[in-house]
Amino acid sequence: MTLRDDLSATGATLVEDGEGGLRVTPPSIASLGRAVAVVRAHKVLLRVRGSGDAPVNAPASGVLLDLGSLDRIASIDAASGIARVEAGCGIAALESAVRRAGCTLGPLLPSVRAGSVGAWLAGPTRGLRGVPGARRETAALTVAAVLADGRIAEGRAAPAKAVGPDLDHLALGGAGRLAIIAAASIRLFPATPALASAWSCPDLASAVSALALVCQNRLAPARARILAGADGAQLAMVWEGLESAGIDRDRAAHLLRASCSFLPDVPGNWVRDSADGHPVEVDARWPSLRAWSPHGDVHLFGLHAGGAFAMLALPEARPADESAALARAAGTRVIAPRRLRDAGPGWESAGAAAPWQRLLEALGVEA
Amino acid sequence: MRREISALGVTASCDAADLWAASRDCSAAALLWTKARAVPHPPDVVAWPEDVEQVAAIVRFAAQRQVPVVPAGGGTGTSGGAVAVRGGIVLDTKRLTRPLHVDLANRVAEVGAGVIGKRLEETLAQQGATLGHCPVSLPSATVGGWLATRSAGMLSARYGCIADMVLSFEAVDGAGEILRTLDGPSGGPDLSPLLLGSEGTLAIFTSARLRIWPRPPQRWVRGIRFPSLADGLRGMRDVLRAGLRPAIAHLHDPLDTLLAGAGPLRVPQPLKWLVDGAQAEALRLSLRAPLLLNRLADALPSAALLVLGFEGTSEDDGAREGDVALGICDAARGEDQGVVAGERSLASADRVRWMKAPLFAAGAFVETLDFATTWDRAEALCVAVRRAVEDLAFVRARFAHATPQGCAIEIALLGLGGAAAAAIARGSPEDAEADLEEAQKRRDTVVTAALSAVTDEGGTISHHSGVGAERQLFLRRELGEGVRQLRALKKAFDPHGILNPGKLLL
Repeated sequence: MTLRDDLSATGATLVEDGEGGLRVTPPSIASLGRAVAVVRAHKVLLRVRGSGDAPVNAPASGVLLDLGSLDRIASIDAASGIARVEAGCGIAALESAVRRAGCTLGPLLPSVRAGSVGAWLAGPTRGLRGVPGARRETAALTVAAVLADGRIAEGRAAPAKAVGPDLDHLALGGAGRLAIIAAASIRLFPATPALASAWSCPDLASAVSALALVCQNRLAPARARILAGADGAQLAMVWEGLESAGIDRDRAAHLLRASCSFLPDVPGNWVRDSADGHPVEVDARWPSLRAWSPHGDVHLFGLHAGGAFAMLALPEARPADESAALARAAGTRVIAPRRLRDAGPGWESAGAAAPWQRLLEALGVEA
Repeated sequence: MRREISALGVTASCDAADLWAASRDCSAAALLWTKARAVPHPPDVVAWPEDVEQVAAIVRFAAQRQVPVVPAGGGTGTSGGAVAVRGGIVLDTKRLTRPLHVDLANRVAEVGAGVIGKRLEETLAQQGATLGHCPVSLPSATVGGWLATRSAGMLSARYGCIADMVLSFEAVDGAGEILRTLDGPSGGPDLSPLLLGSEGTLAIFTSARLRIWPRPPQRWVRGIRFPSLADGLRGMRDVLRAGLRPAIAHLHDPLDTLLAGAGPLRVPQPLKWLVDGAQAEALRLSLRAPLLLNRLADALPSAALLVLGFEGTSEDDGAREGDVALGICDAARGEDQGVVAGERSLASADRVRWMKAPLFAAGAFVETLDFATTWDRAEALCVAVRRAVEDLAFVRARFAHATPQGCAIEIALLGLGGAAAAAIARGSPEDAEADLEEAQKRRDTVVTAALSAVTDEGGTISHHSGVGAERQLFLRRELGEGVRQLRALKKAFDPHGILNPGKLLL
């Protein structure tokens, strides 16, 4: 039996793609499992994409698993704040659906909003978001992951658990290498009006420091923006908690009064404006953002005590490559656009190169 | 083996007292052993390494000799996770106390795995900071133990679990290699959550960098009484869903509510015996009819007490969040009982829930289990566990560790454990052994019934106490095909299979 024959038997749709490769579209999670088992058994290269993700072709003589047909939203429980959804569902479609139930996924990086649930969770952000209290947590309460032999592993949906290693993290951020995310239970926030606050700071670096101070006092906003002003810098922040937004905003104001001046007339949606030019998206810590700040605009998402995801743009629409180079020099990790993405330090940086190799072998995936 | 370990420059002992102390934790099983003066799982040797190199040397030595290495911290576990069920070396981490470094400006504390939680918190308090991690075991649990079990403390609704506080760590894997994770953004699957909670089966933690916070100067506390558990759960859920982050959010079942002095009645006498264990004979008599006791508790007024606490800043005392929370609870039929009801409940929580030693001495056993689930299943899960064990043990429940999506359910199961300690001491070793066997059988039956109900209802078998040796029979039902991933991790990080064997199905 050929690879094509075996894949046809899984119930998936097959299309020639790339250089001698196949694009395989399973209609169900069960079919996806069978297809993965076939691909692994034939030992050919495998790539994964969902609906709306950046274009990816099948590797030469390999297989591209297209999860675009796995786009069902199984349930939305607004009271518990959980949506059960397949990995190919687009983030935009999911956000629309949960909005109708009075919920939201919260502010997300543009590259995340443009892709699928699977790409978000398996991608470089690992589905992390900022949550009230200046922490980050992954959006997935649990994931259903397809293993190399096609079996599907799924843990219990619980707010926290202590049942050994968190096995979801073999799939989260793994780009489908160790396990392919087929579905997930996603945590939702209640959709609420945003409360904004804007401040004038002496310079860009002090604006970053002021924002870091707010986050390190557990008052992290849902998103923020730092912009060079006529004489210094402007810092705008938005809080979104149903009852906590006003409290956090007022407490942040008390902290900022010592170093910045309140700007009463800045429109509340200023923080929501799109970034100008050709921005890059990064994962950064506060010192890196301070180092970047003289160069240009910063839009921040997923803020936490240690840093944030940020969208960085140079003025005068200078190319993204230039922004990426400066962002790297500042110590950030570039995560979008995809062509400029940094792999980031892997397990070898922690001294775990040997365990990584043994793990690949034990899981039956290619080195 | 002791001599060979000593030759590595590590303090080691085979003294009977040391082996006894290293052979148990605070699980109900171990407390029954203690009452019966039994030592079913003595290690061969206990070692006290003082730095990461010594830990690595011991692990390499054990790998060479194919001897189990069981890391142990403060001995406060309740799942048998640090019991050397296959003998070998107990690696006591309590001397891994490299100088504590606190970086207040960047909100980071660097701490050795052997540091005791209370000592860490006292040191941070002197500098105006807190970790925000306050498990019941704080006075004697170690930081390494917290990391190994993915511990959660009483303030987790605000501060999260220990995994949320870890920036990076240092550990030794089963090949004796030293791992050091990064604080900053990394690529690919995150190594940290794969090792945190691995209960010593994949790596031994030696130090960590932890996120710390300004210590709150003030706290707002209230007790809020709801007419039913369902109303209380709705109130607690809605407070969390509104974006508020109480430091304390504990919902007590009707009996706990009575015991906290917040119910409309005084506690009936038979139930009081169950709480304080003061009347050993009466206690054992009561526990011969657990169904009757549970029915008696069911007949109590159904009020449920929610204790809410918010932390303030130097400018406000948390009252603003508290007032908003009271409004939300009012909409769920919650009635403010004032500061005293809340504070009294907090003060009595330790006394009524964790007075284990007198109860064991009186001839009972207390098994504490913690499950977790989403809000839509919380009450049903609690009811299912109660129904499963109501004719085997007396049941009390508390809902805690609330998040916007769900919470943990902490269950205390009180059952007949056999003779009183004094009678055991007077009797023969054979009598003690027979009594222990009978008590263990009863306890196993209760725990099995409870965990079966949890897995049937879709809950997770442990929220923060780990799996250890005690709950692992249910791990396969919990993880399903994930057991294969778990075994792959074991091969990756412990290729010789020497780290804490016999736990987590590994």
